Amino acid sequence: MASENQDSKAVDVSQEIKSRIETKVKYLQELDQAIDQHRDRDVYRLLDNQRYAKEIEHREQQPNDEGVMSLVDDLADQLSSYLSVNLIKYLGKTYPFFYYEEYQTGHYRIYFGNWWDRRRFGELDVLNVRFSFDQTEYEMLNKSFALARKDKRYNSDRINKISSENDRLQDLIDHQREREEKRQHIQEELKDINSHSGLFESSRNRATREELVAQLQKLEDQETESRTAAQTIKENEQVVLALSKENTILSYEQKSIIDTFGSFEDFELANRNLYADYLKSLADDKDAGKQVNAND
Amino acid sequence: MTSNKIENSPTAKINALSDSFKQVLKRGQQYVDLLDQLAQTDDAEELLAAAEKLAEQDLHNAFIDFPQHYQAADYCMLFMGRLLEMHNVTSVTVDENGQHEFVAMIDPLTDASFKFVVSDNGEAAFTEQTQQQPLFYMNLKQRLFQFNNRALVNYFIVYALKKHSDLELRDAIKPLIEFANELADDLNFTINLGILNTANDERFKLQEPNLQLTVIDRLFVKTGETDYMLMNLPQNSGAELLLDQGIKFDLSFDPDDYSQEWAFQVKDPGEQVSFFDILLHYTMVREWYLADRDALAVRSDQLIIADDEDDTDQSAATIPPEPESEPTEEVLSTTAIDEAPEETADDESEAVDDEETPEQKKHDEDD
Repeated sequence: MASENQDSKAVDVSQEIKSRIETKVKYLQELDQAIDQHRDRDVYRLLDNQRYAKEIEHREQQPNDEGVMSLVDDLADQLSSYLSVNLIKYLGKTYPFFYYEEYQTGHYRIYFGNWWDRRRFGELDVLNVRFSFDQTEYEMLNKSFALARKDKRYNSDRINKISSENDRLQDLIDHQREREEKRQHIQEELKDINSHSGLFESSRNRATREELVAQLQKLEDQETESRTAAQTIKENEQVVLALSKENTILSYEQKSIIDTFGSFEDFELANRNLYADYLKSLADDKDAGKQVNAND
Repeated sequence: MTSNKIENSPTAKINALSDSFKQVLKRGQQYVDLLDQLAQTDDAEELLAAAEKLAEQDLHNAFIDFPQHYQAADYCMLFMGRLLEMHNVTSVTVDENGQHEFVAMIDPLTDASFKFVVSDNGEAAFTEQTQQQPLFYMNLKQRLFQFNNRALVNYFIVYALKKHSDLELRDAIKPLIEFANELADDLNFTINLGILNTANDERFKLQEPNLQLTVIDRLFVKTGETDYMLMNLPQNSGAELLLDQGIKFDLSFDPDDYSQEWAFQVKDPGEQVSFFDILLHYTMVREWYLADRDALAVRSDQLIIADDEDDTDQSAATIPPEPESEPTEEVLSTTAIDEAPEETADDESEAVDDEETPEQKKHDEDD
């Protein structure tokens, strides 16, 4: 009995194996054909059936068969490279300000713009049809849009602060002669007061003396600072230039997004809908032709 | 005539005097004929021949002095006036002033007058009188003509723009360009329009071999609040400013050329816009250029061999080969070394020494 049971179990298992293998083979055949005919939409469906069902067919709870999908896990880079051709062509029209660099097979860096100085903005996730923006860079852009509503620019506060610091330093440099005159004047006063000091110095005399010494100290501090002021001003100017550049880059980015999408919110919305919009665009292309999906 | 006896005779002496008079009169007749020719001919070649001969004419003679009336500079001005007149260019008026000198006025520059200043080598510099800026040089004998880039900027962009609109100045410069083209068309002059050239492939190399990229950063920053954009050129070979009506203003180097010589270039669909026009019409570019002029000054190509300004200017000889020494004096010193040929030798050695250049490029690409 036991062995019979075993046998029937073995039959069940081999049936199961056969059926599983058939599913896998069928999956691979479908993928093979889709790749062959560059039916990118089918490739995307095969790579993530769940998402496809949900976002394109609006059928919820269609689980992915990990057993078959994992078959091509080791081909992710190649599939990404393969699918990037049409995707980047599409993005070239819909996001004309993004530029991509394939730094290794199937991996794409995003650059925002091709202006004089530009930012690296994250990566393009081709298999998931998604931008994975660098969060720090993205946050800067987000913030600059918020500031623009208040008529401000990203680095304005810092630039203003450094600029007024430079004005102060320039003032120190410009008033060197006045300081020197004042210093001599105070020293003479001090000499005068010192001659009245001594053991029985009046408290008023002492207060004046201390006040003069303090003034003298302040002048000397200013003198010391003014000696390095020219260099500091130069360094500050470099910082201001770098900050202004960042402002300029952000204003170019804002301009590009507004030119293309109208607002930052619409840009974000488009990012969220990118998968569906892209696959639909592929469908539109195909509908015109003979590419009716035989597997549906 | 070989015998002393005959020469010493009174007859011989009188004959010698008479011959001399005849020569002088003949020369006087020639002079008058040339003046007529200069004033009346409708043929450009004859006009040039007259001006050239008159400018060279030596009327002095041991026996008779003709009262000297005009100088070589005046014949040059008359030549220019007549050539323009032959081409119906009316905005330049040539007239004689109180000192028997011919001066030109250009409409609508009512406050400016122009004279030729001729140097020993026969080079005539068309010089604006209040600012002493030689706008162009011409050499009638060698048939050469060239604009002086630095003087054009000094006079029009820095000085005249304070009193005149950009459109007025554009009108004022037009007859000068026409004159140059007439010299080329009618008389086969070799001309160099310099920064007035509107050809798209014309490149104006910077005088300073090394350009700090922060200089371009400053232009980039200036565009931040305008509708114009400064783009990066392929292979990080420079920047391109996108202006109105498809006009592109480049500051770049040839990425295939190891020396990496920076140059300006203006490209527009109709090839009608020059580098000078950009400086004249775009305040943003003009302010940027003038603020960093020592770094951005354009080299003056030399058609004409010697520059007398450099010969007489003692400071030119004493300027050290490295002009970077004192930042405050750079603006002044570039005026003097603008046309100094020694500079070119330095360019090459510096470019070769600069080991960082290819590295730098690589970094930028990696970025």
